[in-house]
Amino acid sequence: MEGRRTVLNSGTSNNGTSIKGLQLFIADLRSSQHSDEHEKRIQSEIIKIKQHFESAGKKSPSGHDKIGGYQRKKYVAKLAYIYITSNTKKLKDILFGLDQTVLLMQSRFYSEKYMAYMIFELLYKHPEVISRVGDRVTQTLLKDLASNEDNFVALALNFIGVVGKLDHELALNEDVVSHVFQILRSPTSLQYLKKKSALSFLTLLKCNKAILTNDQQRKQLWIQRILSLLDDTHNYRLMLPVLPLVEYIAKNIDPGCCIRLLPQLTQILHNCVVTGTRSAGGTPFPQEFKFANVPNPWLITKIVSLLSLLIVSSTEVSNNSAQLLHPSNIDRETLGKLRMCVTRAIELGTKQCNDAMERLVLNTILFSLINFASKLDPSNEAISNSVTALCSLLSSAEINIRYLTLDSLVKLCSLNGKPAIDTVRYENLGLIFHLLNTESDSSIVRKVVDLLYTFTDADNVKVIVDELFNYISSTRRMTDPTIKSDIAVKVAILTEKYATDTNWYILVSLKLLSLTSTASLNDDEIWQRLCQIVVNNPQLHKMTCEQLVDYLYMNHASEAIVKAGAFLLAEYGNLISEKVSIGDLFNLFTDKYFIVSNITKAMILTTMIKLYRFEPRIESVVIKFFQLELNSLDIELQTRSYEYLNLIQLSKLNGDMALLDALFAPMPPFNTKSNPLLNRLGNLPSSGGSATLLDSVRPIRIEDDGANGAATTMTEKPPPPPSRQSNTALSSSTANDGPSQYSHQNLSAKWEEGFARMLSHKKGVLYTSPMLRVLYSINTVDSQPSHLKIALTYVNQAEWDIKGLSTEFFASKIGNNPEYVLQNIGAPSAIEILPHKRAEQSIEAVVRKPFSVNDSPIIKIYFSCGGSSNSVVLKLAVGLTSTMLTDNRNSSITPLQFVTRWRKLREALGEEGEFTLDNINVRRRKSRTPGNKSEIDFITQSIVRLGFDVAQQSNIGNTLFLAGIIHTKSDGNFGCLMKIKYDDGPGLVSITCKTTSPGPLAKYIVECVKHVMTN
Amino acid sequence: MAIQFILCFNKQGVVRLVRWFEVCQTDTQKTQDMIVQIYRLISSRDHKHQSNFVEFSDSTKLVYKRYAGLYFVMGVDLQDEESIYLSHIHLFVEVLDAFFGNVCELDIVFNFYKAYMVMDEMFIGGEIQEISKDHLLERLSILDRLD
Repeated sequence: MEGRRTVLNSGTSNNGTSIKGLQLFIADLRSSQHSDEHEKRIQSEIIKIKQHFESAGKKSPSGHDKIGGYQRKKYVAKLAYIYITSNTKKLKDILFGLDQTVLLMQSRFYSEKYMAYMIFELLYKHPEVISRVGDRVTQTLLKDLASNEDNFVALALNFIGVVGKLDHELALNEDVVSHVFQILRSPTSLQYLKKKSALSFLTLLKCNKAILTNDQQRKQLWIQRILSLLDDTHNYRLMLPVLPLVEYIAKNIDPGCCIRLLPQLTQILHNCVVTGTRSAGGTPFPQEFKFANVPNPWLITKIVSLLSLLIVSSTEVSNNSAQLLHPSNIDRETLGKLRMCVTRAIELGTKQCNDAMERLVLNTILFSLINFASKLDPSNEAISNSVTALCSLLSSAEINIRYLTLDSLVKLCSLNGKPAIDTVRYENLGLIFHLLNTESDSSIVRKVVDLLYTFTDADNVKVIVDELFNYISSTRRMTDPTIKSDIAVKVAILTEKYATDTNWYILVSLKLLSLTSTASLNDDEIWQRLCQIVVNNPQLHKMTCEQLVDYLYMNHASEAIVKAGAFLLAEYGNLISEKVSIGDLFNLFTDKYFIVSNITKAMILTTMIKLYRFEPRIESVVIKFFQLELNSLDIELQTRSYEYLNLIQLSKLNGDMALLDALFAPMPPFNTKSNPLLNRLGNLPSSGGSATLLDSVRPIRIEDDGANGAATTMTEKPPPPPSRQSNTALSSSTANDGPSQYSHQNLSAKWEEGFARMLSHKKGVLYTSPMLRVLYSINTVDSQPSHLKIALTYVNQAEWDIKGLSTEFFASKIGNNPEYVLQNIGAPSAIEILPHKRAEQSIEAVVRKPFSVNDSPIIKIYFSCGGSSNSVVLKLAVGLTSTMLTDNRNSSITPLQFVTRWRKLREALGEEGEFTLDNINVRRRKSRTPGNKSEIDFITQSIVRLGFDVAQQSNIGNTLFLAGIIHTKSDGNFGCLMKIKYDDGPGLVSITCKTTSPGPLAKYIVECVKHVMTN
Repeated sequence: MAIQFILCFNKQGVVRLVRWFEVCQTDTQKTQDMIVQIYRLISSRDHKHQSNFVEFSDSTKLVYKRYAGLYFVMGVDLQDEESIYLSHIHLFVEVLDAFFGNVCELDIVFNFYKAYMVMDEMFIGGEIQEISKDHLLERLSILDRLD
């Protein structure tokens, strides 16, 4: 064997993966034309391989591997080929090779290892393979994941990505999970491996969400690591596999965590769609990321799909969208950029271009962005223009483009409502009907029908239903039966929903029933629905019965008509006795009885006895009929006949119809609230209109017909977005939800310094580290002192670029009448900051009610710098003292005024609204203070800076008498008086504060003052 | 939002490449029936007058394209946008073509394990992971030459 190997390999130079023996075997198999010859060849090969493997299985005394890697690879590959060429039928015959494949997987040679991995990727589809070798494969897999050989790691990652969903044990294996994550997060991993690990990790996560959700801390940390992979907005290669992972996290694990990425994602999209397609100027988009000469459509569709997830349009606001963004909360610049991308995509998608692939790619981008555009609060005109642009593509010569255009129109109409719908139906209805009648592709017809369905309303229901009827009743084309049934269901729903004329509804529904073929089983729901409606609407009883009789007298009445007739005529047949006698009805059903299915026969038996109740004179024929059916082979028919026969005899014995009347009392109205047919629409978004004349619960009030019809509105009004529901709800772009989010934040070291500084100074440094410095300034307008405008500046202190700068803000409470709200949060002015450059951001805090300064908002700043991903969590000091006006120096309070007010407050409130704090040590501060001012001067200075008014006096040297006004938006303004007593000896301060309002207000103020004095 | 499976078969319905990213059918027989159904559905469609998209089941639609005698099919979720998957297929075929040098069905038959290598470099976990043809080919030629 070894000899043969060298001979064969001599011709193949250095190509390590070429396996001559395998090629010969395949060629051999292909040349054996007859199946038995083919089979024989396979069997003899299997026997040969089995022998080799068996002899290898017997331990050789020297421990020497008898087969050798190359041979093993060859044999295993042959087995794989047998498996593939037999269309997986020969799985059982090759299972014996699994053990050797596991050995092959442990090889030190890439080509051998690869072969083993590849085969397991194929065979893991079968649970019996996993149960046989799963454990051993996982062991080797773990070794490879930890290997120094990058190509082995790559194989292992691939394997996880391919079979992760087939073997659920992998996602539960903590070792596997943490290895994969390590590769993903480590700054030193090769990009090649990072990319693979992103998707392997995604696969594991899809199988087992608990990887992230089980441990709150890990969740935060890992998600942050993953998101930071997007920080380099020019690393398109890494982005491609990371985006699906982020999207999955946003969709299934933590929707809120990705909101802060909006500016970053927008920038990337803008780079691709706008900058990248510009013919000149700007940074050109790297050629290698282009496809068919257009910027990478994969990246664009992935970003758009993530963005669509993060932004909810006003039509889809629902309860669980609180964590997501409404377009009105997106800052102007970002929104502008996104809209620019849409405009550019429309330009690109509708321009002339000859290359088919380029055309397809441009259209991919177009459809992706046009569908996304509805999320951006578009103007009616913008929607109408998009629709017009799309409709122009309906006449494209390319079938795929017509299909995709229709698909996009369906989405657009259901998301954007009236403006989109009107443009389609008033300007393009003819074109759409034309497509319905000429397209020969059922995929396209289906989309046309969906589109028609989405924009049908009371005005056009007749035209559209007629057109659909023509389509299903025309015999000239071979139509897919499932489409016919699909259209029938839609026609039934539309007629019920939009009929302005009840008679028309009955006529159309019966016509529909007469068309439906017995082949499609689901059509039962249509006639059942019709019967429900007729029962509930008495004015329809007679007319429907008359129509039904006409249909039944036709030769080929459909089974659905017979069923509806059997049910309704049995209920209301007496109403049309001047047209058709009960006896004639009996004869009619007798005729039908022999040409229908057993289920329908059973229904007719019931009809017979009900007819007998209307007209006892047909007794003898009815009895004869039942007697005949006693011999039926069908047990149901036999039982019914037997029971009904006995019922007739019993009522004859009693001499009255009481029993029958009790048993067959008129049908009570149905109370099915919703139309069961709607369940059959599958993924199709519900059609816009809401008006219907036909009520399945209450009978129709005829006098309302006109009014109801006229009041038809095309779109149901969506609930207002949370931000508009009340001013207390989520009102900022990146403010996060929930107190839990707030309390879960771990503040960065030394946060308190900046926090205290922010309480006492209007401007200063909030945070500083070797990489980042954060500066703040607080501005208020005198007319609105409770309204704090905070400007933050981020300065890059490092020698490397800061990338992926993004921020999140957390308020201690959102909704439920919070003490303060954060609003108008702008995005950071740049995502990337060059060394020693800066970026700005602004935010507003509105103080509504008194609150503790400890509940101040938290800011979390994320960024990458020099390969590390960082987050800084700080508290932005928003204190009640921040709302005091600082420039009313002239209205100084006198000591006398202070004493009078103090006494008044005591008389009015007693101890209420008073708070005292003793023994505050201010020594720490003193040691840091240069110069020779006395401590009390420093205290005075910092307190005055807050905005307190000092009563000038020199009698009591170590005490300050202060007054101030706290402003809040909802609870109004509060006066406060404060005594600060300083004991120089031990360096202790005591504060007593009185406020004009009982409650914790005084305590809150003292807290602020304490922070100012002690830091 | 991902590829459920990739399938490649010839005009006679003989499967040449198959990769399942989701558990579609656990039963081997049912898997084969499913492949046969897909083959029938797609081969019955006119490739001049019908689109490259067709709904297959309640959870899957097919995006496919024929290149000479071979059909390349991807099963994707119903809410996925079809056109990008058509680009997936096109890129996959372009890479196969460049890697094998004018690829034909026989290349895939005789070198099935190499065809899977190309697939693995492009698709993991139902997502595309690399789209630069130059990068892919460079990578593949290194791997192909490894012992």
